[in-house]
Amino acid sequence: MSAIKSYDAIVIGGGHNGLTTAAYLARAGKKVLVLERRYVLGGAAVTEEVFPGFKFSVCSYVVSLLKPTIIRELMLPKFGLELLPLESTFTPLDHDYLLRTSDHDQTRREIYRHSPKDAEAYDRFGPLMGQIGMAVRPILETIAPNVIRPSLSDLSATKRLFDHFKALNDEQFEYLTKLMTMSSADFLDEWFEFEPLKATMSASGIIGTFMGPRSPGSAYIMLHHYVGDIDGAFRAWGFQRGGTGAVSMAIARSAKHFGAEIITEAPVEKVIVENGRAVGVALVNGDEYKAEKVISGLDPKLSFLKMVDESDLPSDFVTDIKNFRIRGSSGKVNLALDRLPNFTSLPGDGPHLRGAISISPSYDHLEKAYDDAKYGNFSQEPYIDIILPSVLDPEMAPPGKHIMSCFVQYAPYDIKGGWDDQKREAFGDAVVNTIARFAPNIKDIILHRQVLTPADLESTFGLTEGNIFHGELTLQQLFVMRPAVKWANYKTPITNYYQCGSGTHPGGGITGSPGEMAAKKILRDW
Amino acid sequence: MSYGNQFTAHTQLRLSPFFERTSKLNESQEWRRWGGYLSATKYDLVHDNEYFAIRTKAALLDITPLQKYILEGPEAQHCLDRLVTRNIGICKVGQVMYTPWCDEAGKQIDDGTVQRLGDQKFRITSAEPNLEWILQNASGMDVNVVDDSETTAALALQGPNSRAILNTIDSDSLDSLKFFWMMEARLNDIPVAISRTGYTGDLGYEIWMDPKDALAVWDLLMEKGKPYGITPTGLHALDMVRIEAGLILLDVDYVSARHAIIESRKSSPYELGLGWTVKMKKKDFIGKKALELEQARGPEWEFVGIEIEWNELEDHFRKVGLPPGLPSLAWRISTPIYKNNEQVGYATSGTWSPILKRYIALAHVKSEYAGLGTQLDFELKVEHFRKLTPIKVVESPFFNPERKRSCPL
Amino acid sequence: MEHYDIIVVGGGVNSLITAAVLGQSGKKVLLVEAQEQVGGLASTTEFAAGYKCNLVNDVVKWVDPRVMKILDLGSYGLELTSPDIVRIALDINGQHILFHRNADQTATSISTHSKQDAKAWKGFTEYINNLTKFLEKLYELTPPKLPDIGLKEALSLRSMLSPVIKQGTRGLVNFMRVAPMMMPELMDEWFESELLRGALSTAGIHHITQGPFSAATGLNLLHQHVYAKGVFHNVHLVKGGTGNLAGALRKSAQSSGVKIRTNAKVKSIDVANYICSGVTLTKGESLATEKVVSGLDPRNTFINLIGAVKLNPRFHTQIRNLKFRGSAARVHFALNSLPEINGVAKHNMGTVFSVAPSISYLEKAYDASKYGQISENPYVEFTLPSVINPGFAPYGKHVLSATVQYAPYHLRGQSWTKGLKDQLKNNVVRVLENYIPNFSTLIEAAVVLSPVDLEEKLGLTEGNLNHGEMTLDQFFFMRPTMSSAQYKSPIENLYLCGPGTHPGGGLHGTNGFNAAHEILKRQRR
Repeated sequence: MSAIKSYDAIVIGGGHNGLTTAAYLARAGKKVLVLERRYVLGGAAVTEEVFPGFKFSVCSYVVSLLKPTIIRELMLPKFGLELLPLESTFTPLDHDYLLRTSDHDQTRREIYRHSPKDAEAYDRFGPLMGQIGMAVRPILETIAPNVIRPSLSDLSATKRLFDHFKALNDEQFEYLTKLMTMSSADFLDEWFEFEPLKATMSASGIIGTFMGPRSPGSAYIMLHHYVGDIDGAFRAWGFQRGGTGAVSMAIARSAKHFGAEIITEAPVEKVIVENGRAVGVALVNGDEYKAEKVISGLDPKLSFLKMVDESDLPSDFVTDIKNFRIRGSSGKVNLALDRLPNFTSLPGDGPHLRGAISISPSYDHLEKAYDDAKYGNFSQEPYIDIILPSVLDPEMAPPGKHIMSCFVQYAPYDIKGGWDDQKREAFGDAVVNTIARFAPNIKDIILHRQVLTPADLESTFGLTEGNIFHGELTLQQLFVMRPAVKWANYKTPITNYYQCGSGTHPGGGITGSPGEMAAKKILRDW
Repeated sequence: MSYGNQFTAHTQLRLSPFFERTSKLNESQEWRRWGGYLSATKYDLVHDNEYFAIRTKAALLDITPLQKYILEGPEAQHCLDRLVTRNIGICKVGQVMYTPWCDEAGKQIDDGTVQRLGDQKFRITSAEPNLEWILQNASGMDVNVVDDSETTAALALQGPNSRAILNTIDSDSLDSLKFFWMMEARLNDIPVAISRTGYTGDLGYEIWMDPKDALAVWDLLMEKGKPYGITPTGLHALDMVRIEAGLILLDVDYVSARHAIIESRKSSPYELGLGWTVKMKKKDFIGKKALELEQARGPEWEFVGIEIEWNELEDHFRKVGLPPGLPSLAWRISTPIYKNNEQVGYATSGTWSPILKRYIALAHVKSEYAGLGTQLDFELKVEHFRKLTPIKVVESPFFNPERKRSCPL
Repeated sequence: MEHYDIIVVGGGVNSLITAAVLGQSGKKVLLVEAQEQVGGLASTTEFAAGYKCNLVNDVVKWVDPRVMKILDLGSYGLELTSPDIVRIALDINGQHILFHRNADQTATSISTHSKQDAKAWKGFTEYINNLTKFLEKLYELTPPKLPDIGLKEALSLRSMLSPVIKQGTRGLVNFMRVAPMMMPELMDEWFESELLRGALSTAGIHHITQGPFSAATGLNLLHQHVYAKGVFHNVHLVKGGTGNLAGALRKSAQSSGVKIRTNAKVKSIDVANYICSGVTLTKGESLATEKVVSGLDPRNTFINLIGAVKLNPRFHTQIRNLKFRGSAARVHFALNSLPEINGVAKHNMGTVFSVAPSISYLEKAYDASKYGQISENPYVEFTLPSVINPGFAPYGKHVLSATVQYAPYHLRGQSWTKGLKDQLKNNVVRVLENYIPNFSTLIEAAVVLSPVDLEEKLGLTEGNLNHGEMTLDQFFFMRPTMSSAQYKSPIENLYLCGPGTHPGGGLHGTNGFNAAHEILKRQRR
């Protein structure tokens, strides 16, 4: 064994948050090492050529929430970040459709033909959500205070937030409270009447979570998605040229530019803890690295129940982490297509293929899909969020061919009897059949099919239970409670051991926020 | 639920039933969006002729994009009375009333006209959609609300010759039709309603019809109007004349209280020069309580007409060796107004008035500076540099001809 | 005509308490009730010849101790008893779990299902007891008007600090964790036995239209255990029937000079220019007064009795958006003899029984209601009031009253016809026959009260027993709306005192008590 190399900081996991932390630390002049288990960087935000010529954003598939400050400070465009807007949201129905585009008049008219009232409400809803999004941003950008033993800066941060909320007007405060507590269906019912519109909007309240649109708490997830912020414009969803992996690659290049070292295929076995202090890491292959700080980008279960020994942690913290709810609920189906799908209700090519295609014709469709999952089955007729990346970026597929990315709910991690090949294929069939209801030619144009169950997401990406958010975004798992009270400020009970993944505040999505805020906290503590 | 599939994703904008004609007449091919419709900004390559048509001949404008709602039922009047600030109870059948409406804080949502079509039947027009608001406030009342926006097409025939043109067609003379009244009429046996209303501050009429008759009415008016100088007119010219007439425009001169994201963007009728429309003697209407308080303490802002003083304007340009720079179009960019170098207001729209030979604008100013004749300063860009130039608060409407209201009979 | 300072609309528990407290303070109070007797949700009536039932509530979960004290209910005939066994969770194999007042005894009963759960039991009851301390303090408060609260309002919340001081911030954190939880989350942290998990989860779904998988059922569970002193599923029985609670309240109110008029249905609460001036009865009589207090639910109060037209648009929207949607039905059975429940001793029959074999059983029952259907296999909670109060049935005969979830008010493709009510009854009978094999042969008569019946009979909007769903978005400063959570409505001189206000439903009387105090406090200013 060679001499043990020593670093200022070691980041475990080369996901986008880990890389962000690494880049920020390196930018501050620290000597940083990133250790990634797989051969490819990006964690869940990764692009792989799954079938010859067909490249897929295998897991995460859209970029909605990447923080503009991170883009600027880490100079990501210089390192290959190129976000293309998703132009529309298309909801095919059995005999009609709903198509919302970025053109106000067009969308107004489209909604008007379904419901004149909704067309007006829609005009007010967007700005309101934008405002509420602005109202929650200070929380999302505050390092969660330690409420058990607050420091002076915790107190002043709390005071700032308190003042911020006091300054909201009645209406904003009321809607904020409602969004924090209600189901997305109930919230939307207060505004709209056309069910496909409501169902499609409510779908962003269930993505990545084990809830239905009628489950209280789903309205918050909807808000979480609404704070999507590209180029300062709220709610602008984007697609990264070259797939989401290119986002991670851009962050990695930025990190390297600032001097960070990145090693792939270097799975970490354990964090080395001596006298309650993290001093380095040991790899599965026996290599050891020393560091002043060790930062885990993994989810809380892995960070605390696998990377360190329970005996190094206080027992109430271990209980909190064990009680942290992760619950994988989604799967991914990636299709290589010979040509474009043809939707019965809106045949041919058009702007509806350049955006998100949402299989969400009604609340019942989503609720029934959820019911299946509650009792341990995958949804027979799932909710599917589809995009055709090759339409936006032809290089993702061979000329004239296409790829289709299907994010699917629900596929419970704890499926009855466990996941096996047969169930995986049956799940894939359920997805294809559901799409075929609206685009019958789909079955004839599939060249290849990749089905990823939550079990696959766990084994491939190290996402515990395949949960894309590293833990449910429920009220009791947010802010000062994420992942555990007292330790929501990126620190851990082990001195010099930090966390920076989506399991920390402000949670999942390709935001980079946990990574950025963790880095800032670490630098402040240094 | 069954859906017809007659729409395609590729039909982006609504087309008025007059589009068949207007699209061919529009030599400039310049269009603007209005209420989701494609609407001509001007027909000629320059809009001057259209402007003068309104003031000296007759102009024909497609105003179909206006929002229109029919309220009908035993409580239709009650419903409207609660909704708007003016007293609908005194509006007689065949009469039209201009009125704003407010939210409960007394902040203006929109403004438009209320036509009393029958004892229990009204049509309300507005710039922006208001169906949701009307329905919400009609809840619990015996009134049926129907969106009439796409079921009624409308033309505005404006200008000094407009009456003469209609008199050549209509069997009944319009000579006795008073300002802000309307009548049922037949134009070559096509049933229409004609109201003596408009957005130009001149003699003029608005003609309401079934969309299927739209082209026939257009053709008829164009044919009969030819000897009178009828001119298809676009939004550029309209914008100039409505400023001359001192008429406010939603989303330009004020923001709807329903859409204003922040409190300071909202305005009350008092702050928009519409205090005369607020009828406190009326039993109750939405916003009454707040408006009573505002009336008692006086509004913080007022909406006034201003005139940019000519000599000083000319001086500014002369100093850099240029003739006075005048806007060729009405502008809509908020422009600061100062008193002693402190900002006390902002102009929201302005234009050079070719008829009056005055540079005029509409402005929000703090109440203490709203008195007629008050001298203020206006921010002006002269050859890339910002200057202050004197203005004064003047009477608005700037242009208010006798013929607007007068009747030959 | 006599003039009153205050008119209280409705004669339910809270209205009676408000009237009594105001009467005690020297106000001249008139209470008007539409039915021929006061009581509302605490009514006891005859449903078949010789058979009586507690219309809605067979037991009282808790009563605000301030009410007990200040209204001296004991001396007006209220006798509350607490059975040793507060609930029996029925097991299909007769291995029922008996919930005793004594945690150790309960643990022994649990141990037949899981030794580990038995061991965890005491800790769990203490944990829940600690959390309810927060609610006990919170419930005594008038909610502040958010967001812009001043120092004074902030100080008024200081009583919340006492449980924090006792339990540490960790206690508060636990409360913040558990209140928004769903039942399986809470249960996963403590128990493994399916029956026990189901039996406990029933507290989370009691009288609401949410399944155990819904977030914030944790709050409803805690709400059921306020002042329970660590006794899980705690109940009190009213001697002579739940109606006697109302009876004692009536007597107490009357002794303070409150005039009570029954058969006096209010047609309208008279409002002009956002000022309330009195009420008009359906019989045409108009009663002018200084203040009106409504014990009815917010939708009844504002939309039906005042009228949407007289409300500010925003307030109207808020009221219109309140969630009611009741989904609990009641079925009263007149039985020709005492039923024999497999494995339950005769002397243990004076308690509450629940049929909730697992959490998924309850959730599946809820699923139906999402699609506008009644549960095929409903959650059934029942008592035998005739065992507790022999006067409820002719000698030797008995009454079984069941609360059935879910039976949604909003049905799809059907309505609350007799046929559907029979179907619901048959579902209940079928479920009960798993435990009382000859049940159907005992039935002499049965009455089904659907949410629609409850709406008609008791004036409960959509049959909701809480006057509005007990969810987090309708809790504390949001109950009933952010603009009216201080018991004072946006209409001048009109107050609210019913379960639609903080802290929500139940026969505890806290709403009425708080409302009366708020009215008096405002007067002193």
